[in-house]
Amino acid sequence: MAAELTSTKLNPESHIILDQPLLRLPLELARRNFKTVQRAVEREKEYVIPAIKEAAAASLSNTQTPEQTLAALDAMISRMQSLKRKMEGLQEEEKKIHSQSRKRIQHLETLHKIPSLADVKYDQWSRVRLDRLLVDHMLRSGYSESAKQMAQDRGVEDLVDLGVFTQAKRIVDSLRRGETKEALQWCGENKAALKKSPQNLEFELRLQQYIEMVRTQDKSKRIEAIIHAKKYLIPNYQAQNSDIMRAAGLLVFTQDTRAEPYKSLFARERWKFLADLFIETHHELLSLPAQPLLHIALSAGLSALKTPLCHSAYTSSSSNSQSTSTSVCPICSTELNELARNMPYAHHSKSYVESDPIVLPNGRVYGKQRLIEMSRNMGTVKPGDVKDPTTGQVFHEGEMKKVYIM
Amino acid sequence: MEVVQKEHSRLLKRTEGSQGIKNVQSAIDSLQSARDAIAADPSTASATLATLHNSVKSSFDSINASLKETHSGLNKYTKSLDKLFKDRPLPSTDDDDLSSHETLINRAIAMHLLREGQFGVAATFLSEIAEEKRMYPVSQNERVPTNTTASLLDIDEVPSTEIRKQFASMYYILQQLQENRNLLPAIEWSRENREALEARGSNLEFELCRLQFVWLYHGGANSQGTASGWLAALEYARQEFHLFVPRYLREVQQLVGAMAYSSNLSESPYAALFNNTSSAWDDVAHFFNREFCSLLGLSADSPLYIAATAGAIALPTLLKLQTIMKSKRTEWTSDNELPVEIPLPPQYLFHSIFVCPVSKEQATDENPPMMMPCGHVIAQESLKRLGKGNRFKCPYCPSESHPKDAKKVFL
Repeated sequence: MAAELTSTKLNPESHIILDQPLLRLPLELARRNFKTVQRAVEREKEYVIPAIKEAAAASLSNTQTPEQTLAALDAMISRMQSLKRKMEGLQEEEKKIHSQSRKRIQHLETLHKIPSLADVKYDQWSRVRLDRLLVDHMLRSGYSESAKQMAQDRGVEDLVDLGVFTQAKRIVDSLRRGETKEALQWCGENKAALKKSPQNLEFELRLQQYIEMVRTQDKSKRIEAIIHAKKYLIPNYQAQNSDIMRAAGLLVFTQDTRAEPYKSLFARERWKFLADLFIETHHELLSLPAQPLLHIALSAGLSALKTPLCHSAYTSSSSNSQSTSTSVCPICSTELNELARNMPYAHHSKSYVESDPIVLPNGRVYGKQRLIEMSRNMGTVKPGDVKDPTTGQVFHEGEMKKVYIM
Repeated sequence: MEVVQKEHSRLLKRTEGSQGIKNVQSAIDSLQSARDAIAADPSTASATLATLHNSVKSSFDSINASLKETHSGLNKYTKSLDKLFKDRPLPSTDDDDLSSHETLINRAIAMHLLREGQFGVAATFLSEIAEEKRMYPVSQNERVPTNTTASLLDIDEVPSTEIRKQFASMYYILQQLQENRNLLPAIEWSRENREALEARGSNLEFELCRLQFVWLYHGGANSQGTASGWLAALEYARQEFHLFVPRYLREVQQLVGAMAYSSNLSESPYAALFNNTSSAWDDVAHFFNREFCSLLGLSADSPLYIAATAGAIALPTLLKLQTIMKSKRTEWTSDNELPVEIPLPPQYLFHSIFVCPVSKEQATDENPPMMMPCGHVIAQESLKRLGKGNRFKCPYCPSESHPKDAKKVFL
């Protein structure tokens, strides 16, 4: 079942595999937003309703002065007002998320109106996608300024997630500086969602705080460390028992110890581990793929385009900078050549050569018509001669021999 | 996709019509009025509080009702998304070969930005990379690209090197060409690089001059501003075309000969030659772009763009393959070739491809195509297998030959 060699069919439904995070992420944000609203409402409800009941009971039994009742009511009013303010803020946020989703859906929807891969509109669409992928890659690599600038320049701000990644980067930076505060705050905000996470980011952060306290070798600090461990580490004893044991053992070592595993607990690299763990947890929570989408697209694309000729020791005659009627292959081009070196090459079941191929005495195969035209355009070639555009050798037209490629 | 869109608009409508905040306000209002009532007349406190309890409770109930509605809207939208992406998960991420080549990828991105003319972004990007390197100097285990062109593009040097200047000048020329219809910078460039262009058999210089001639003929202002219309064109031809006469005699004759028809050129057989529409300009701009990049050894379109697009086209097929292999528990044994054919649009084929008609294998450096004296080509390994060192019959025609008479060919 030989598949077609080329095809310009565009199947929009399967073409958007790469674009899942585009819709998933705003959905996760909307969910998170919704849960915050729900929690806030629930909290106020649980405060205000019993409070009214209490006040009613108190005034019925005359155990409360009117001033006290009024004060209780004032407290309720101010709490409700702050709830309202909070909800207003969150609703704004929600609207923003939804309008962003809307734009994204529209962007994907345009794909349905493009008839084929050869259409100019597909080219435009695909360029927007590349811009998106690049911004995504920049954000993930922590180059937020470039990402911001590029998103603005290319007008794709609604199609990329600057805010989410910028926030994540701030936390990563704080971890790399050796601070746990922002990361812990993030854990607090996402407590419910983190319960399902297989990594225990919060435990690792608390453990790091403990390690830092032990590191000082200061007596009072070490007592503080023990209290800290009791409060934050011990409750996890079921899952993290061995870690807790190790943490306890740490108390008798100094940070210049060479004994493992205490040496690596004290190590500076642990902060990097925490930063990576945070990113992993963060992306998982927002259903973001762990690797940049650009990597996925590129590794598939490099293989699909690569041929054995791209890294061949012999210059390919069908595509090289010396020949004019073909453009340079993207894999042969310097930008991607090294990157593609270890990739598998595309599978082909049929030969694909120029029409009417001939072979020159030096073994190079060209399309006859193209070779003659090309030679004519080179001022230096005599009429009746042809010049091999790859090697520069000149032959007589009579030396061209027909070659049959099945 | 339609379902997703519909669910989303529904969700949006719900959000906009959300009564949540209004209900909070009504709770505040009833609290406030109860407070006022009690303040005015403390004796009514217990009765007021009892009614207050009910009204606040109902407010909260309606808040929760509207929240519930939003929740179900979100759920429905989630379901529609799940359905859309069902059986289409992102490819498994166990082996990400590319993540160990961060530098190479960043270099490719920087080059892409430069070649797309996004110089500002490129500058920011490069400075952020440099900043990162300074702050977190990690041990570089990555293989450093060895070939010379690659080192020219070394990421640290990109901002200051040749390549940046080259692209800047390319953009200047293209901009002049497309926006101001000014061909002179392009012509100048093609003259500076005449030798290299000629070696490629490229007729860029002539095409540019030809378009200049046509443009002048149609009334474009020439640099001296002395004559206009066909006089200016003829003047230009006299100055410049003698260079092209040896090679493009026929074309030059046609162009100059057409002047005889200048009174009604559009009716003459030469009309097609004097195409001055924007498509002619686009063609020339594209041609220039391709030649410029080719002289730098780069492909005309951004490789990153082509590769990413090809990747998106290939992904569904690759994904299907991954699922099949997982369910059959088989593994692809040859890891240097993809197991399936991926049909790409024809413009994504850049090389000739030789598949041996006997073994159905693609030719490689180790197994090159060999041409037998009769002109048929098979792969070297097939040749060895068929011939076993003796004379043998070509699988495609009656002629017989010895394997050692076969000649290696280069596609």
